[in-house]
Amino acid sequence: MRGIQARIAVLCLLLVLIYTVFAWRLINLQVRDHDSFSDIASDKHSIKLPIQAKRGRILDRNGEELAVNIPVRTVTADGTHIKDPAALAAVAAPFLEIPVDELTKKLSTQKPYVVICKRVSEEKAQGMIRAMEGAKLRGLYLEESSIRIYPNASMLCHVLGFVDQSGKGVDGIEKTLDRELSGHDGFRKIEHDRKGREIMVYRGQEQLPEEGADIRLTIDMGLQAIVEKELDATFKELRPAGATAILADPNTGEILALACRPNFDPNKSNDAKPEQMRNRSISDMYEPGSTFKIVVASAALNEGIVDEKTRIYCENGQFSYGGKILKDHHGSGDLSVSEILMKSSNIGSAKMALRMDDNVYYQYVRRFGFGEKTGLPLPGEISGLVNPVHKWDMLTKTRMAMGQSVAVTPVQMVMAMSTVANGGHLMKPRLVLSKGEGSVVRESVPASDAIARKTANFVATALERVVSDQGTAPLARVDGFTVAGKTGTAQKISSHGGYLNDRYIVSFAGFLPAEAPRLMGLVIVDDAPIAGSANYGGLVAAPVFSRIAGNAMRYLDIQPESAAVMAQSGNATTSAPVIR
Amino acid sequence: MNGNRRRTTNTIEVNFLARCMVGVFLLAMAGLFFVYLKNQQHAVGDQIRGIQAAVREAEVDNESLKARITTMTSRGYLQRKLDEGYIKLEPIRDTAMARITPAVPADPDGILRTASRDPESRVGAGASQRSISR
Repeated sequence: MRGIQARIAVLCLLLVLIYTVFAWRLINLQVRDHDSFSDIASDKHSIKLPIQAKRGRILDRNGEELAVNIPVRTVTADGTHIKDPAALAAVAAPFLEIPVDELTKKLSTQKPYVVICKRVSEEKAQGMIRAMEGAKLRGLYLEESSIRIYPNASMLCHVLGFVDQSGKGVDGIEKTLDRELSGHDGFRKIEHDRKGREIMVYRGQEQLPEEGADIRLTIDMGLQAIVEKELDATFKELRPAGATAILADPNTGEILALACRPNFDPNKSNDAKPEQMRNRSISDMYEPGSTFKIVVASAALNEGIVDEKTRIYCENGQFSYGGKILKDHHGSGDLSVSEILMKSSNIGSAKMALRMDDNVYYQYVRRFGFGEKTGLPLPGEISGLVNPVHKWDMLTKTRMAMGQSVAVTPVQMVMAMSTVANGGHLMKPRLVLSKGEGSVVRESVPASDAIARKTANFVATALERVVSDQGTAPLARVDGFTVAGKTGTAQKISSHGGYLNDRYIVSFAGFLPAEAPRLMGLVIVDDAPIAGSANYGGLVAAPVFSRIAGNAMRYLDIQPESAAVMAQSGNATTSAPVIR
Repeated sequence: MNGNRRRTTNTIEVNFLARCMVGVFLLAMAGLFFVYLKNQQHAVGDQIRGIQAAVREAEVDNESLKARITTMTSRGYLQRKLDEGYIKLEPIRDTAMARITPAVPADPDGILRTASRDPESRVGAGASQRSISR
């Protein structure tokens, strides 16, 4: 009896020991090592799912969409889930538009993450998933993605820019405001079952994406369309090397339209040549020619070196200075400042410059914004070229007075001319109205006061005469409005030094209505293959300006001022314009 | 003998047994309820996932359609259709336009007009606009 009891006791003890070991192991697994085993299990089944932030749209000032996103899918494969690559390829290939053999090759992998196809439309992606479910196959998964499209194609391409394959801004506003447009991606930690479906119960930490901000530009697409149409016609008709047109509000510095030729379609940026992608309005500098005369006239008037009544002897068209002969297109005797601008006298401008101290003259050139970047939020802006006084030779001053020995960008010229239009304030150009809902980019403020209002008004009045029959740009007239402006005709600089014969960059910069300017415009035509005798700012660029400005005034519904126009137009139809 | 047998017979403790059975039953029910809830949780999770997928699909469809609308109403597209003759532009006669007068300045009569088809009022509106801009 005692023996049996002893055996039972031993058996019980053994059982207790065994169960104690099991219990100990269980406690180890479930309690002590719970976290580490949980992590291992989690790593196997859980993933950090990225939630892409939507890239913000780019809108014009009236809310017209200029750059938007289309949702698409990226198809990825998990090689560890694929049992029959050939069968899977046969099902998926028609949706992905990839040959079956090629897809089979791609799917014959053990890698857990392989990108199979990008930019698959939502319809096709969902169709593929349904077909896979029907065939009880797995291994292909979908990731959310989007592509950027520009509905207006090449219109405004140099301002908008474009994005690369990964959605990162490469050029234009897309590049400079990439951070604001991109937003921040979010994530969600999920666990999935063996079919790759999320197990909702185990959904973990989640951070929602911060969507990209919508950028509202100062551009008015109505005006942009007018500019693009005219520039296209000019480019087609004259076949120049390049052309640029800008419209701006002279009172605020807001850029309302900006177009360059040649241009490109940002939807097909891979096909574009570097020449087409160059934003000539900020990355090209050119000798402005006579449009620069507004600077010397403004400086001389503002400093009191000349006044409204001062008459300057213009040497009857030939002025010998520094061993060189300076010529006027039409010889004149005594001319007032207003007449010098109206007739675009090189000699008169040079003599005004010579009366000024070098440093004072240089300071005025800088006050008009030349020689430094305007700060327009576009990549590739250059500062132009204004040599400091110590680099000047004897002729620099007289050359600068007529827009040589100085190089400017088109946007700089627009801002300089706006200074005359708005009463003497050099405005900082503005291209962005707001970055995101509720935000307002700082209101327009003048960068500096360049000249006194009285001086600006006098120069503006003189520029009205430029567009008269006696001036150089009667073709810049706009029916119903008084236009003030200045022509520019500059010989192209040779890469070997000196100037190229019969190759010109011609321009017209003007504003209207002259009494209360609402619109500032600049048209530049670079190296049009036309005879030198006809290749002048007043003949080539001024008519383009006139058409753009006329249509723009109608678009903006600005009431014509008939009386003022009668005074400017006179008997325009009968007299031949004097050009220079 | 009979007396000994009676003495060694154990009584069934019904109360204790009942308590145990109730305890086990409750424990089992709690377990089953836990499993039921867990299943329900999974089922609701699947429903949520399905709804989220449907919402996302609707959003994606919406985005796609919006992008198509934007493209088809873009200036470039409309210009192409205009050039191809699919659409036609009809000029609006001046007399058929309603102009919105500036909101702040009232006309000399002190009446603040918002819109008018009356040509005389239009001239007045234009005149007041000019006087402001100067």
